[in-house]
Amino acid sequence: MCIKQLFLGFILQGILIFYSSVLFAQHRPVQGTVVSVHGEPLPSISIKVKSGREATSTDAEGKFTIPVAANATLLFSGVGYTTLEVAVQERSILRVILTEDMAALNEVVVVGYGEQKKASVLGAISSFDAKTVQERPIARVEEALIGQMPGVQVRQQTGMPGSGLSILVRGAGSVNAGNEPLYVIDGFPLDVSSQNAAGGFGVNPLNSISPNDIESVQVLKDAAAGAIYGSRAANGVVLITTKRGKNGQAKITLNANTGFSNVAKKLDVLSPEEWIEMATEVANTNWVRSGTGRTANQTNDERRAILGLGEGEYNVTYMPDDRWLQTGYPGLRLVDWQEEIYRTGLYQNYDLSASGGTDHLNYFVSGNYLNQKGNLLNSSFRNFGARANLEARAKNKWRFGLNLNPSYSETNNPGAEGKDNVLMNAATLTPVVEADAGLETNAGPYSNYGWATARLASPVAVLNNTIGLTKRTRILSSIYAEYEILPNLKAKTTVNYDDINQTTKAYVSDYVAVGGAADRISNPGKNASGSYNGFRRQNFVNENTLNYIHTFNNVHNLNVLAGISYNWVHNDNFGLSTAGGYANNIIETINNAIPNNTGVTVNGNTTENTNTLFSYFGRVQYDYEGKYLLSASIRRDASSKFGSQSQWGAFPSASVGWRISEEDFLKSSSVISDLKLRFSYGKSGNNNIGNYNAIPVFTQSAYNFGGNTPIAASGQVLAGLANAALKWETANTYDAGLDASLWGGRLSLVVDVYQKRNKDLLLNLPVLGASGFSSSLQNIGEVQNKGLEIGINSVNIVKGAFTWSTSANIAFNSNKVLSLNQDGSPIYIASAYSGSNPPFILQPGLLMFSYYITKTDGILTQADIDNPNVAKVRNQTAGDPKYVDANGDGVINADDRQVGGQPTPKYTWSITNTISYKNFDLSVQIYGQQGGAIMSFLGRALDFSGSTTANVLGIWRDRWTADSPNYEAPRGKFGANYTVPAVTSDWIYSSDFWRIQNITLGYKLNALVKKGVFSSARIYASLQNFFGHDKYTGGVNPEAQNTNVSGNGSYPLAADYGAMPLSKTASLGINITF
Amino acid sequence: MDRFKLAVIFFFSLLLTSCDKQLDQQPISDLTESSFYSNTNDFLQAVNGVYSKLTSYPSQVLWLGEMRSDNINAIHDGNRDWQGVNDFLPSITTTGFVLNAWRDNFNGIFNANSTLDALKTKGDVITDVALRSRLEGETRFLRAFYYFQLIRLFGPVPLISEPLSAEEVTTVPRSNPEAVYPLIIEDLTFAGENLPTSYDASNLGRVTSNAAKALLGLVYLTRSGASYGILGPGLDSNEYDKALALFNDVIASDQFSLLETYADIFNYENENNKEVIFDVQFMSSTNGASFPSHLAPVAFWTDQKLSNAYGNGYGSSSFQVSNGLRQAYQHGGADSQDAREEFSIRLSYKSPFIQKYIDIDKRGLNGRDWPINFIVLRYTDVLLMKAECILHGTGGTAQEALELVNQVRIRAGVPALTALDEDILLEERRREFVGEGLRWNDLIRFGKAVETINNWKVTDDLSNIQTIDANALIYPLPAEELSVKEGLYAQNPGY
Repeated sequence: MCIKQLFLGFILQGILIFYSSVLFAQHRPVQGTVVSVHGEPLPSISIKVKSGREATSTDAEGKFTIPVAANATLLFSGVGYTTLEVAVQERSILRVILTEDMAALNEVVVVGYGEQKKASVLGAISSFDAKTVQERPIARVEEALIGQMPGVQVRQQTGMPGSGLSILVRGAGSVNAGNEPLYVIDGFPLDVSSQNAAGGFGVNPLNSISPNDIESVQVLKDAAAGAIYGSRAANGVVLITTKRGKNGQAKITLNANTGFSNVAKKLDVLSPEEWIEMATEVANTNWVRSGTGRTANQTNDERRAILGLGEGEYNVTYMPDDRWLQTGYPGLRLVDWQEEIYRTGLYQNYDLSASGGTDHLNYFVSGNYLNQKGNLLNSSFRNFGARANLEARAKNKWRFGLNLNPSYSETNNPGAEGKDNVLMNAATLTPVVEADAGLETNAGPYSNYGWATARLASPVAVLNNTIGLTKRTRILSSIYAEYEILPNLKAKTTVNYDDINQTTKAYVSDYVAVGGAADRISNPGKNASGSYNGFRRQNFVNENTLNYIHTFNNVHNLNVLAGISYNWVHNDNFGLSTAGGYANNIIETINNAIPNNTGVTVNGNTTENTNTLFSYFGRVQYDYEGKYLLSASIRRDASSKFGSQSQWGAFPSASVGWRISEEDFLKSSSVISDLKLRFSYGKSGNNNIGNYNAIPVFTQSAYNFGGNTPIAASGQVLAGLANAALKWETANTYDAGLDASLWGGRLSLVVDVYQKRNKDLLLNLPVLGASGFSSSLQNIGEVQNKGLEIGINSVNIVKGAFTWSTSANIAFNSNKVLSLNQDGSPIYIASAYSGSNPPFILQPGLLMFSYYITKTDGILTQADIDNPNVAKVRNQTAGDPKYVDANGDGVINADDRQVGGQPTPKYTWSITNTISYKNFDLSVQIYGQQGGAIMSFLGRALDFSGSTTANVLGIWRDRWTADSPNYEAPRGKFGANYTVPAVTSDWIYSSDFWRIQNITLGYKLNALVKKGVFSSARIYASLQNFFGHDKYTGGVNPEAQNTNVSGNGSYPLAADYGAMPLSKTASLGINITF
Repeated sequence: MDRFKLAVIFFFSLLLTSCDKQLDQQPISDLTESSFYSNTNDFLQAVNGVYSKLTSYPSQVLWLGEMRSDNINAIHDGNRDWQGVNDFLPSITTTGFVLNAWRDNFNGIFNANSTLDALKTKGDVITDVALRSRLEGETRFLRAFYYFQLIRLFGPVPLISEPLSAEEVTTVPRSNPEAVYPLIIEDLTFAGENLPTSYDASNLGRVTSNAAKALLGLVYLTRSGASYGILGPGLDSNEYDKALALFNDVIASDQFSLLETYADIFNYENENNKEVIFDVQFMSSTNGASFPSHLAPVAFWTDQKLSNAYGNGYGSSSFQVSNGLRQAYQHGGADSQDAREEFSIRLSYKSPFIQKYIDIDKRGLNGRDWPINFIVLRYTDVLLMKAECILHGTGGTAQEALELVNQVRIRAGVPALTALDEDILLEERRREFVGEGLRWNDLIRFGKAVETINNWKVTDDLSNIQTIDANALIYPLPAEELSVKEGLYAQNPGY
């Protein structure tokens, strides 16, 4: 819209110059500026002298000059604005404020299979105008959506560059079938890809989509809006519209920005000096406990004598390093591992586009390049992309178009997140090493520091000697043709094809292979490992629609849509990996692999799978004078994923609305510009249930015969119990909403309340082991999400060249499991990392995946120890934490677990303030969440009572000590001798946070524009995620997900076991239009 | 309007063709029931699938047998799954070992039942009649094997002899061992009559008629064992004569003999030797064994400069053998080193542990990839079980029993015995079969389990181990099995 007006502005400006030179003599000139209620200059507003010939329009800065006769009246009009008459009188300088034309409602929003005037929208749709995207350094579309829309929670689970973000619309409604929305780009529904068990994405549908190409994003939150997408809409639908060319001269735009980033947060662990203090304390404690007559003040020599060790020998459990006590720690080096593995990253993003059009052809072409050097050593992301959106029109009957988006990206990710991986190791590895090994400790020729575990090589060396290179080529293309059969009746057919090819090369050098020192000299390469994996994902969609739009008797507006759709998705996967290492450490490709001791050189396999979806859909929208609104839609989906007994599903929706502001009693109101009430109900589905889950399949089960010369005997066993009735999960959503716009749009408000019930959940219900299996996939159980969403936009101050506006939103969501299996018994979900006390529970009445843990309550006193009525864990002594004996039976065991800490936030919020003054603009966005909690599995590795061989969390600084027996301390004493009844509430942290996601200060180079160098130009500086606060001291990111911590294959659960911190970026950028 | 109709027909006809076909997508990379069981090879693979569940057997008998017995007193360093098994805590209803043992054996039974059902309905595609009855025999042996293991671990179990749906299984209550044994005996009898005595080299490791007979002998011996007044595997049935006849059959088959040295039996290069009557087969990479790492502490591996992936995943726990076991080997006299102790126990380690199957040079790709078979039944066992029958007054003479035991002792390099009774035989079995997962079942069968454990607790002053009664001799039902269908199963007494 804005671009078009700019062009018109230029054209009209030329006309104006011509006219003014001709007419100047007869009239006096009037100058002026036209601005919106927000104080923004309005270009392309046409100005006409009432009952005269003279006309002009505003330029890019909203300025105009027009010659007028005495007592003339000027008419100001522009698309989307109320026409205004202004009597010039004696004035020669005018400042004209145009209000947005609410009645014509200007704004058109994209809905499923079409567009709709915003005023008529009846569903809960959040819109995001992507105009600001190019004004800040944003690498992915999802990043731009953070905090922008109430009820659309964009979670940054990782700080690794190039990774997809998870989007959650109105809370999680599915236990097992994924909670990611359906993405639709320019009408092309992409294949839904859920988070994997570890919280990341194999294929994120938004990979390689350049944010600079995006015109707008609409999120269909309720079923009334989404039901037209049927069995894929239960988690919401995100409609993305890319830029198209507007009629007018070609316009070339350059957006460039570059900046530096650093990690936003480091994990608080003990410093090297603190670690030495701890290790000494723990060694002494261990020593004293290990036998009678052993005291803490015995020297190492005395301890050696007792232990029978030779001179210079150490028992690291019982003895500190003598050098710890010497000044300057001779021969040792103190290392902050996190300092060493993180670096400053460079960010560059360039985007060049050209667009324009005539009555017969519109075009938008762009190319972009993004280069992001990660904050972790050896990590980076690069993307090259191009886009062509073309549309040709013939004889007003035919339209034919093409959208083409090829891209290529390279991601370097040495695989640092998760259990026993680099980031966790950097936190847990002793911060003291031998000086000669330094950052190469336990790698290459260097052995481990005596007090460090022999298991871990230097994280720096690991990162520098690991390759994880993913290459992705994607071609996203659509062609469409539309034909006007009759006036008002159009038929459209589209053919869409998305082809993603991705390969990942991984290589870990034997330089960092622990325990391979001897081999490295005699057989270099033998302990190296490598793999080459990849997939091709093809998604083909053909959709055909008929659309009839007509207004009867000027008051009955009807819009009818009918369509049919066919969708085919095919995956080819392959994987190759070395079985026995490499012949040398020079060549990294698998042709250099050598056989293992069973003669296998390379392990490899390929698999394929396909699913199809066939659908009919239809929608009727009707309104009477734009006042009373009705809409209904239905979709019938048949999917190859569903069982033979339930192949077809129907997903209806209905909604009603009343635009009260169109009633006579409000039409003349000067306060209320727009007021609409709406109510909707709809049913949608989640078909993300696996491709062949309804069909019983055999799986290979290995065995062999042959004794000394074994021969693999391929065995086939049934993989599970069949369920021919398997089907989609169903979401029933009720939504009531209010849209209001006051004082000519200075204040606008959107409020929605909703209740979403997901039933027929896909659950792996436990079955009797006697059936041969432990679980069976069934549609059973119900989860409810209820919530309230409020969004406000306000123009606070417009004074001269100064304007200040605020947009804010808040979304409350509460989640509850309503039912699970027939008898309502809870499902306990064990963690692979918490012993035999399952720390998660699914139970009717509770939140999904509630934490089920043993609570701590202060520190045990000597009186508690002496009191047999105080429940304790065996071997606990004064200074150890006190566990809550929830059932009061005098012992602490699995029965004392309680629900503690809710896994989802109670509300999320965001506030954006925008200030502009003359050529300056400043925007500050802050967002956050409250009321949730995160369970840190790093606790298992880093939150324990000290060790002579590993580091612990910084929270242990404030522990209970015998010298300073603080019974309120967050942690007990070092060197405890009892078994922690994992999981305890110590692993649970508040996930509350606030972040200043964005501060951007821009300056318009209007001086250059005036000289005609550019048609618009702006430079800006931006800070992303620079300030913030959270309470998560057990990790670096309260939204982190990187490891499947579930010990139950039926219920994968992503959690944090060592995360890459988010980045904070400072950048400079420029937006230029020629 | 013609134009309109044409256009509509055009757009919508693009799709309607072959819609149903498109919706019927069959797995591309997986076999389905409709495509399987169509030739002999399919049935061979189905039977191989029934065998494959045997690979969980070594873990069952080491963690739930050896660990529970008086051979090991493991010291845990944290919340370890095996702790309750070792310590006789009643809280092991959620322990993974217990749950997995239940599920794995029933999964094996499901695979056997599915295969037997397919043999019945589609088996005529196997034109070789002898092969067909061999496949049935193998499958029935395996079903009996899994059921026998279930009875010994859990006592009463649901008796299911055909593939049932999850729904149908909820109507099948537990049957007492007495009611399950007939199926086991019937299956093993069939297998003993229909299986060959040997296979060609490439099929070495398949069940033979002798394996079926030896296992049936053990079944009768177990039935004859002490009942302790619980619903356990022992029925006091006094069927030593049936057992003896079967053992004599096996011995007379002349397929087996004692090896020269004890170490040869477990040599990685000497699998399926003359000692082996039935073993679980393993090979590196596709079917590697994890059991050699089970009872060795993680620190042992890191001391060997091997990654801790060679460990059993249980941190710094120690798995030291009990004083009683060490003393058992000294009965022969201090000057005679028992070859079995030297081979089976890592004596040089600070806390000696069972190393029987560890040959570091032969390690596979990681700690779960050892290419060594696990011997389930070996000839020595048959000889000693025969002696056991004789001691119970069935056939043979005391001298004959003594000779059976002495040839085993002489191989181990310890002096011959001059007298034999049940206690001495039990102790000899302990020395001979250490680390093979037999001790716990032996204690139960000999009627000595309760008193042995309680005495051990006192003599070794083991505070971690609970005093037990007969209820501890069978494991509890996994808690998850009780909650699926409330009231269908009752928990075993004592848990």
